[in-house]
Amino acid sequence: MKNQQSMKLSMLVLACTLGLSACSTTQMASNTTNTVANTGHSFAMPAYETLTLDNGLTIKLMVRPQVPLITFNAVVKAGAVNDTSAGLANMTANSLMLGAGGKTKAQIEQELDFIGAKIVTQGAMDGSYVSSNFMSKDLQTVLPIFNDVLRHPDFNDTEFAKLQQRNVVGLAQAKESPRQVIGRYYNQLVFGEHPYANAPSGNAKSIAQMTINQLRAFHKSYYQPSNTELSVVGDFNLNEMKALLTKTFADWQNTEAVLRPDLSQNLPQLTTSRVLLVDKPDAIETTFLIGGVGVRKDNADFVGLTVVNTILGGRFTSWLNDELRVNAGLTYGARSAFVSYADAGVFRISSFTKTQTTKAAMDLALKTYSRLWEQGIDQATLDSAKAYVKGQFPPQFETNGQLAGLMSDQYIYGVDDDYINAFQARVDGLTLEQTQALVAKYFPKEKLQYVLIGNADKIRALAKQYGEVTEVAITDSGFGG
Amino acid sequence: MKRTLLAFALVAGLFTTLSTQATTRADVDSFTLDNGMKIMVLEDSTIPNANMYLFWKVGSRNEVPGITGISHFFEHMMFNGSKKYGPKMFDRTMEAAGGANNAYTTENVTVYTDWFPANALETIFDLEADRIAHLDIDPDMVESERGVVQSERTTGLENSNWRAISEAVKGVAFQAHPYRWSVIGYESDIAAWSLEDLQQYHKTYYAPNNAVVVIAGDVKLDNVKKLAKQYFGPIPAQVPPKAVRTVEPLQKGERRVFLQKASVSTPNVMLAYHVPATSHADYYALDLLSAILSQGNSSRLYKNLIDKQIAVAADTHMPMSFDPNLMYIMSVANQGVSAEQLEQALIAQVNLIGAQGVTQQELDKVKNAKLINFYRSMETINGKANTLGTYELFFGSYEQLFNAPQAYNKVTVADIQRVAQTYLIKANRSVGVLAANEEADQ
Repeated sequence: MKNQQSMKLSMLVLACTLGLSACSTTQMASNTTNTVANTGHSFAMPAYETLTLDNGLTIKLMVRPQVPLITFNAVVKAGAVNDTSAGLANMTANSLMLGAGGKTKAQIEQELDFIGAKIVTQGAMDGSYVSSNFMSKDLQTVLPIFNDVLRHPDFNDTEFAKLQQRNVVGLAQAKESPRQVIGRYYNQLVFGEHPYANAPSGNAKSIAQMTINQLRAFHKSYYQPSNTELSVVGDFNLNEMKALLTKTFADWQNTEAVLRPDLSQNLPQLTTSRVLLVDKPDAIETTFLIGGVGVRKDNADFVGLTVVNTILGGRFTSWLNDELRVNAGLTYGARSAFVSYADAGVFRISSFTKTQTTKAAMDLALKTYSRLWEQGIDQATLDSAKAYVKGQFPPQFETNGQLAGLMSDQYIYGVDDDYINAFQARVDGLTLEQTQALVAKYFPKEKLQYVLIGNADKIRALAKQYGEVTEVAITDSGFGG
Repeated sequence: MKRTLLAFALVAGLFTTLSTQATTRADVDSFTLDNGMKIMVLEDSTIPNANMYLFWKVGSRNEVPGITGISHFFEHMMFNGSKKYGPKMFDRTMEAAGGANNAYTTENVTVYTDWFPANALETIFDLEADRIAHLDIDPDMVESERGVVQSERTTGLENSNWRAISEAVKGVAFQAHPYRWSVIGYESDIAAWSLEDLQQYHKTYYAPNNAVVVIAGDVKLDNVKKLAKQYFGPIPAQVPPKAVRTVEPLQKGERRVFLQKASVSTPNVMLAYHVPATSHADYYALDLLSAILSQGNSSRLYKNLIDKQIAVAADTHMPMSFDPNLMYIMSVANQGVSAEQLEQALIAQVNLIGAQGVTQQELDKVKNAKLINFYRSMETINGKANTLGTYELFFGSYEQLFNAPQAYNKVTVADIQRVAQTYLIKANRSVGVLAANEEADQ
């Protein structure tokens, strides 16, 4: 494969291939707003309707008849940042599928599998998700199950104990692949005591000690209609769907006031360069991240930062990939990214190289990064990056799942349609002077933070050259906190 | 690539309420240039983008010892300079036009994928035509690319246990056929192949008569035809590559392989059974059998291994192949479960199908899943292009995509049991174990 692909590919693919989406039935009052799509050559947010039930549940509906499928995406505003035990949000989400509404786990799975339908649940950093994808003809089968999974989970003891045990083993397995876990170590290093340090997965100790009562309490506190949005995208009749969803969710009651930590406070002050060295004694390469604090998802400069980062490390011809891979042959890939959450984020340069060339690759990454300040961006490169970012934008919003995900993101991150509709104009308007200002304001220049996962005996000495070193074994529970 | 996306037009009556907007045979056009290059076109203006997928009929099955991995290495070299667009210019030109690309190599094919705003179509034709007709292999680029591929090999082995164990299992399951080595090749071959090897490889395999091209997205057929004739038309055809001659001899007894890796926390077990080529009539029954074993939490492997706390993961894989290949069944042990216990549990599930067959309900379930998975693949222009190309290559024509429903629907529970009894037997099996420690001699 020419380039590294996303980790979403199944493990089997990676093994065998090198490669590189008006209610007439009740008296419930509701507000409906229409959003009309722009027309023209640039990509615009497709038209959708928003319905708000009296209980506060927001429902967004977008009709897409291209394939006879429907996606439901419920997002609850609570995630790992609300964890009182590491991994609680995710374990709560995972446990929704362990039996609900009088049906066992196995009964739910059998019913869904028989019609090829999926319900997937996940607790992420800022939000918890219940997502479903199914054939339009199966709406009447899937919706009651989806409703029960979201609202009426049984939290069965026996099934919970099995899930808990599987997840503890799963955490050990994830650590067999440095690429899968390095981001968790990095967030812990950068955010320290702040909730964004929390790994949504939790850790082996916390998961082993978790109790089902904690899950029940988490569900009761956060899974409430006024704290949830449902996005529905696909091939359906708009009026029928609105009536059905209103009927289904109108009796969902709020139970208590939702507590939200103020995550914009107590953000880390990085006063020294630090290195977290994670020892994996049989490592044949060193996997590393370098960077610092980034930006929140609704940052007004996010589009400009996307363009600048594209130049630095966001595409194949980026400076980092060109130097470390194409010119030096040190690695299969070098990248950089702003990873952003609702109230904060990180910036990170990422690569990997065989153990013997760790220093060469890290020094070249740093030298290349410094070009942002020492050399700056030229007009031709800026023009190219702008074309690239615009050209690659529409395929991000092609499927029902992607569009439902986009609307869920808007809810969690407080981003409106303007982000989509003004994207192209914002990219077009970016000047060289503005890129310089963005570099100066947002890219961490000093007091850089490092995570290295590799054979510590062979890279311990050089790790000291980059900052104050803390060393942990990869097999230790957790991610270096 | 594992995209078991198979199309279905459906059995009578079952799905009569389906949307009329889904892709049908009438949506696909195809034409063949004088030089033998076949091009399929699917117009879709859902987003203002398009793609070009070029499938070359060359993969690791076309290699011999000494040049193992060269198909994949060559995939990399196709980005490193040609007559009009010198080193780095392919990617720079494409990205400046708003496009992105990738490529992948398998045992059977090498596939180049370009994704771009529809108004960049002509630039993409120009770029592809230049590297197909006039690749200029720069010796310095060969050397730096060796490092890149060595890093790709290393990072695969570091991060993927499946990569490691499947290489070992292929190596014992095949003793003669070139499927026995990994697509990335042996480390020593990566270090050793020569400029001449690469030049010969390009001339032999990168001929228009050895390619299938799919273009899907916001394009017009007439314009695609015009550009194809202008840019791809002048590239001369070559003598077709020699056939792969070696036929794997019949396996007559179980084979085993052990691979040690210190950081593996619980044993991984892989079973591999020889199965026929994708063009064989038994493909459909085997594919459905594979899904009955592993697809979803109601599958046999989930219910009998994962739910019973024997394993934490279990899956099956049967790559589409020109030649007879393998069905892989693989699993990761739960804590405290030995490799031997896991192996016996996997074999018991496989043998149970041979002994007792499957239920009609199980078969209906996986047929239903085939249908929805087909629509999932048809949600994107990339899924469309990849599916059309895959059918053209492995089933003889993209039109077979639209016959797949009948082919799957014809499969009976008796067929499932028959293929299990025919192929999933001990004498035809290879077993691989990946663990931190090998058991000591007794």
